[in-house]
Amino acid sequence: MANPSKIFLFPNALTHSRETVLEPILKTENLWKVYRTGKVDVPALRGVDIEIFPGEFVSIMGPSGCGKSTMLHVIGGLAQATRGRVLLDGNDLSAMSDSARTLLRRHKVGFVFQRFNLLPTLDAYHNIALAQHIHGNGFDPHRFQVVAELLGLTARLKHKPSELSGGEQQRVAIARAIISEPKIVLADEPTGNLDTKSSESVLGLLRQLNKDFGQTIVMITHNPEAAAYGDRILHMRDGLVVNGASIH
Amino acid sequence: MIGHMITQNVLHRPLRTLITVIAVAVEVTLVIVVVGLTTGLLTDVAKRTEGVGADIMVQPPSASVFMAFSGAPMPILIGNKLQELDYVQAVAPVLIQFNSVNGLDVVYGIDPATFDAVSGGFVFHSGHALQDPNDILVDDVYAQSKKIKIGQILHILEHDFHVVGIVEHGKGARLFVLMSTLQEMAGAHDKASVFFIKCDRTDHTPAVMDEVRQLLPRYEIRPLKDFISLMTSSTLPGLGAFVNTMIAIAVAIGFLVIFLSMYTTIIERTREIGILKSLGASKAYIVQIILSETTLLTIGGILAGVGLSYGLRIVLVMKWPTLTILITPDWILRASAIAILGGLLGASYPAWMASRKDPVEALAYE
Repeated sequence: MANPSKIFLFPNALTHSRETVLEPILKTENLWKVYRTGKVDVPALRGVDIEIFPGEFVSIMGPSGCGKSTMLHVIGGLAQATRGRVLLDGNDLSAMSDSARTLLRRHKVGFVFQRFNLLPTLDAYHNIALAQHIHGNGFDPHRFQVVAELLGLTARLKHKPSELSGGEQQRVAIARAIISEPKIVLADEPTGNLDTKSSESVLGLLRQLNKDFGQTIVMITHNPEAAAYGDRILHMRDGLVVNGASIH
Repeated sequence: MIGHMITQNVLHRPLRTLITVIAVAVEVTLVIVVVGLTTGLLTDVAKRTEGVGADIMVQPPSASVFMAFSGAPMPILIGNKLQELDYVQAVAPVLIQFNSVNGLDVVYGIDPATFDAVSGGFVFHSGHALQDPNDILVDDVYAQSKKIKIGQILHILEHDFHVVGIVEHGKGARLFVLMSTLQEMAGAHDKASVFFIKCDRTDHTPAVMDEVRQLLPRYEIRPLKDFISLMTSSTLPGLGAFVNTMIAIAVAIGFLVIFLSMYTTIIERTREIGILKSLGASKAYIVQIILSETTLLTIGGILAGVGLSYGLRIVLVMKWPTLTILITPDWILRASAIAILGGLLGASYPAWMASRKDPVEALAYE
């Protein structure tokens, strides 16, 4: 029987399980991203094919410059693919206009960044509430309270980012990412700026969100210990996914 | 939410906010005070002209409603003809000269008997009526502003006058001398600039005007009842252009300051814009934030500008009591609208620029 708090926090996540849903929530087909530097074309992605299924926690590892962040930007709709397809919850991002991708990001994607990327002028409360406001479904105080409690932020909501530790800032960023119930959370080196203890706390939270609430997560990291928190690790090199390993 | 965000942004950068608000305040003050000065001047002149107490004013053909600009081309004998018309109770010829020494003043050369007959006579605060050729009357406002006392010598129009009386303000000019003296000084013997006509009854004014038109075709014949409505900036050559130029300068100041302020803000907040875009904020949402912030800053500037205008009026009137600065709700609203329009125009390009930022590049901005 479903846990009521799970239903409340992630109603969509609990309507399916990995075993019964075969369609990937995210799929890329021959995904290319080429940057032009002066007169030189620099390919960052060279035909990536991946599938992420609902409820998965996938870590993507690779050395600097292998295209991890670029892939996160493209699959999250922040950047347009040069070639190939990105299917997110059945929507082809590569065929979408900029404004359609914006709409898709708003409703289906939550980002967590290495540098937290909180608005410095707003306190934690408003940083989280902002995502709900942009989402457009109005402020849901009960959901807000549940998320804040889950991430241990209740006592820190009135503080601005400059008054929070790195770990606290990243927890605010995670709260902001999940407050509007996205289909997928994309985390770009979420522990890159954190000490070991805070890193473990943040990774544990991501793992909890995935295990307890079925939140699909794709996390980029260069840290094998962090990557081990995922169900699966994809290795990237020179703009390609070179292999994948299932952990759990 | 947007309200909270823009308020926090404004408070987060107090110096930028202060400079922007001050610039908008200067813009608003410039509009309100320049317009207030011109309309104040016109209204003051109009009220004082109405205060003569006449019903009709006769001027030479094509003469300006600003009498000081019209010289003295009318034979004074016309006054006798006007006096003979039906329903005319009194006719006062006045020779008007413009004094530009120690300020700008209009001097009325009057015949005390006829001027009193039309105006009902001066109310004397001190002193007595004009008697000798070198006598001069000053009104109380002028006397207060120049600290003039009875018996003092007043040097105007390259002539030394003897102050013999201080009278209540509001009878056309602030300075009065004998018409014969002024005619002598101006080389305008037996000439007058204007005739003020007092009718025996106010409702006879139209009939008297018709008579005057028959007697003096092509002359400017104006009822004084509506004189204030005639005194607009468009009736004084160049004044409208001056006011419009000052408004244009004010708008340019507001536009440029807001443009620069918001432009630098957008550069400074590039990463924040990237964050908003990563959250799914649309271009319209980002434009809305920038324009709302501009509006908030402009409103701050407007409030400061209105306060500054009233403060400046107090200071100016203390220093120059003859100055009239008319601050009207109408022009406060117009100045506010001008400031908001200029601000929004100035912010529109930075807002557009912000809305088009690439989210990946914006997020990578240091």
